[in-house]
Amino acid sequence: MRIFDPHIHMTSRTTDDYEAMRDAGVRALVEPAFWLGQPRTSVGSFVDYFDSLLGWERFRAAQFGIAHHCALALNPKEANDPRCTEVLDVLPRYLAKDGVVAVGEVGYDSMTPEEDDAFARQLELALRHDLPVLVHTPHRDKQEGTKRTLDVVRESGLAPHRVLVDHLNEITVKMVADAGCWMGFSVYPDTKMDEARMVALLAEYGTERMLVNSAADWGRSDPLKTHKTGLAMLDAGFGESEVDTVLWHNPVEFYGQSGRLALEPAAAGVVDAATGSSVLRGER
Amino acid sequence: MTFQLGYGTNGFANHRLDDALAVIADLGYTAVALTLDHHHLDPFAGDVGKQTDRLAARLHELGLRVVVETGARYLLDPRRKHHPTLVSEDQAVRVDFLVRAKQIALDLGADCVSFWSGVGSADDWDHLRSGVAAVLESGPAVPMGLEPEPGMVVQWLDQALRLRTELGNPEELRITLDVGHCVAVEPQDAAACIRQAGELLVNVQLDDMLPGVHEHLEFGEGQLDLPATLAALTGIGYTGVAAVELPRHSHAAPDVAVRALRALRAAQWLAEAERAVRADPGAIDTLFPAAGRAVGAGQDAARVRLLTAFADVSGDPVDGLTRLYRYGTSAERRGVLRGLAEVGDLAPAAGVALVEDALRSNETDLVAAALGPFATRHLGRHAWRHGVLKCLFMGIPLTVVDGLDRHADAELLRMVAAFSDERRAAGRPVPADALALLGKAS
Repeated sequence: MRIFDPHIHMTSRTTDDYEAMRDAGVRALVEPAFWLGQPRTSVGSFVDYFDSLLGWERFRAAQFGIAHHCALALNPKEANDPRCTEVLDVLPRYLAKDGVVAVGEVGYDSMTPEEDDAFARQLELALRHDLPVLVHTPHRDKQEGTKRTLDVVRESGLAPHRVLVDHLNEITVKMVADAGCWMGFSVYPDTKMDEARMVALLAEYGTERMLVNSAADWGRSDPLKTHKTGLAMLDAGFGESEVDTVLWHNPVEFYGQSGRLALEPAAAGVVDAATGSSVLRGER
Repeated sequence: MTFQLGYGTNGFANHRLDDALAVIADLGYTAVALTLDHHHLDPFAGDVGKQTDRLAARLHELGLRVVVETGARYLLDPRRKHHPTLVSEDQAVRVDFLVRAKQIALDLGADCVSFWSGVGSADDWDHLRSGVAAVLESGPAVPMGLEPEPGMVVQWLDQALRLRTELGNPEELRITLDVGHCVAVEPQDAAACIRQAGELLVNVQLDDMLPGVHEHLEFGEGQLDLPATLAALTGIGYTGVAAVELPRHSHAAPDVAVRALRALRAAQWLAEAERAVRADPGAIDTLFPAAGRAVGAGQDAARVRLLTAFADVSGDPVDGLTRLYRYGTSAERRGVLRGLAEVGDLAPAAGVALVEDALRSNETDLVAAALGPFATRHLGRHAWRHGVLKCLFMGIPLTVVDGLDRHADAELLRMVAAFSDERRAAGRPVPADALALLGKAS
C-alpha cells in the first residue's frame, strides 16, 4: 500500500512516527501550517515556522524516504489576533517557494469578520500564485461553517477543483460533493472520523475527489490512520486499486495542480546511506 | 520571434527516419537537422523526388522546421569516411552531392544546406575555394552554411569568413556554427563566435565539448557555457534552427534527446533570468526560489550565477544576499552559501555571519555548503575547525571541506584525535575520514 498523507503536522511528531509511517507505506505527505497549541504573539514566530516547514522538517522527512511538502497560510484561529495578521504581508514571498503545494489551512474557526477578511485575502493569494487551497472547517457549528466556506469559495473565483475542504463528516460531505470541491476526511482515534464511518462514506459517495488524512498533530492522534483506513477499505471489499485511488492518486492529483510536487524525496543530505559516499563527490 | 530548438537525425542513426521524426517532435523539439544518408532520404535513390515530397508533408504535419546536413560518413565512399571532400582530387563527386542536397533542401522548404571543407592542408585552399564556387553556381539558389570543423582546412570561424570574402561575399554563402567546436578549437568562446558570425549565421549545432578534444558530449559534460551561448543567439536576433548534434549517441537517442531538451530549457530559463536580474536586481526575489523548479539538478550552480549577476548590478548586494538567505528554503540557503565563493568577498563580515548560521544548523547539505572557499578565506580558524569536526560528527565526507589539507593545523588534529578517542571509548567505529586526516599528519 503506498500512501500520500494529504494533511499531517510532522513538526509535532517524533522520528519513531516517521519510521512507522515509512514502514506502513507512507511515501509522501503535505504538512499544512496551523495553530501550534501555544498561541503565537508575533509575525517572527510565523516566519520561523514557515522556514522550518520548508527546511528542517523536509530534511527530517527525507531521512526516512518520505517526500515532504507543505501548505502555508495564516490559520483561522490566529487570524483573530492583530499581532499575527501582518504575516499576510510576508506570505507572498513564501508562496513562491519550491515545496509549497497549496495555501492552507485557511477557513473558519469562530466565523468572525477578521476570519472573513483573512480567508478572502488568502484565496486571492492562491489565485495569484496559481496554487490550490486547503480549507479547514470549524470544530464548532461545522455545518454552518462549511456552508459559509463554500459561499466564500464561490465568490473568490477559484475553480472548485482547486479547493480541498477538510475535516468533513456525514453531515457536511454532501454539500461539498455538490459544490465540486475535493473532500477531505481526518481519521482520528476518538474525534472527527473513524475508519468504519470513513469506509461507509466511501461506499456511499465513491472514491472520486475523496481524500483521507491522519491530521496527526500535538493532540491525541495517530499518523497511521491513513494506513488503517486502507486496511478497513480492503476488509470491506474495496479493491487495491480503489485504495490506491484514495490514498495515493487523489492527493497526487489535487496537490499536483501546483506543478510543484516532487515525489522523490530530496537526497537526505550529502551522504548516500547505501554507498557511504557523498552526493557532492564529483562536483569538485 | 526567437530561434527554434531541434535535434539532428544523425543522433538517431538506428531509427527509421519517420520514427526518429516522430520521437523528436513528441519530445517537444520544433525543428530537425536532417543528415542525408543511405537510410535517411538517400539523395542517390531513384525516387528521391517522391520521397522528398512525402517527407516534406510529414515534416509539415509534425510542425518541424528543417535544415539539411551533409556530414554522412559513408554515403559517397563505403571504405573511406567522409570521402571525397571539397579538398579531394575527385572533388566533383562532393560537388554533385551538395548540389543534389540543394535541390532536396528547396523541395523540403529547408532553411539551408550545411557543409564542411574536408581534411587537408593549407595548400588545398585554392582547390577548396573553386569547389565552393562550383557548388554555389550549380543547382537552385539555396543558402549554404559553411561549417568550421576541427581538423579540416576550414576549422575556425575566421577561415570560413575569409573564404567568403575571397569569393566576393556571395549572398548564398553563410555560416553554420557548432558551438561545441568553438569550445574545442576556437580562440574565443561560443558566445563570441556567435556574435562574430552575426547575421551570416544560418544554422547552429548544439553540443558540449572540452577544449582541444573534438568529441561531441551531452550538455554539462564539457565546458560550454550553455546559458551564455543561448543568450548570445537571442542577442544577435537569431531566428533559425539550433539543433542538438550528438552523432555518437544514437544507441540511446530517445533518452539523450530528453536530457538535452531538459538542459536546453533550463539554460534558456537561466539566460532569461540572468538578463532579468541585470535589468532589475529586485527580480532576484522571485527568480532565486523559482530556480529549483526551473533548473532541477543544476540549481545550485544556477543560483550562483544569479547571485553573480545580482552582485554586479545591485546597489546593496550585502543586504540582498542576507535577505535571500534569511527568507530562503534550505536549497536557496545552500545556493547563497555556494555563491559566497564568487561574491562573498564584497562583504566578508556579512558572509561570515551566514556561514556561522549554517554551521549552527543540523542540515548536512547546509553544513557542507558552508565550508567552501569563502569559509577558507574568511571564517575564523576556531569556527572553521569546529565546522570540520561537525562534519565528522554528522557523517559528512571531508571532501566537502575546501582547502582541508592546507589548513588542517595542530589544533584541528588534536580535536580530531580526541574525537576518535571518544568514539573508541564508546565502542563506536571511528570515521575513515578522521583516521585518514590523522594518518596524513603522522
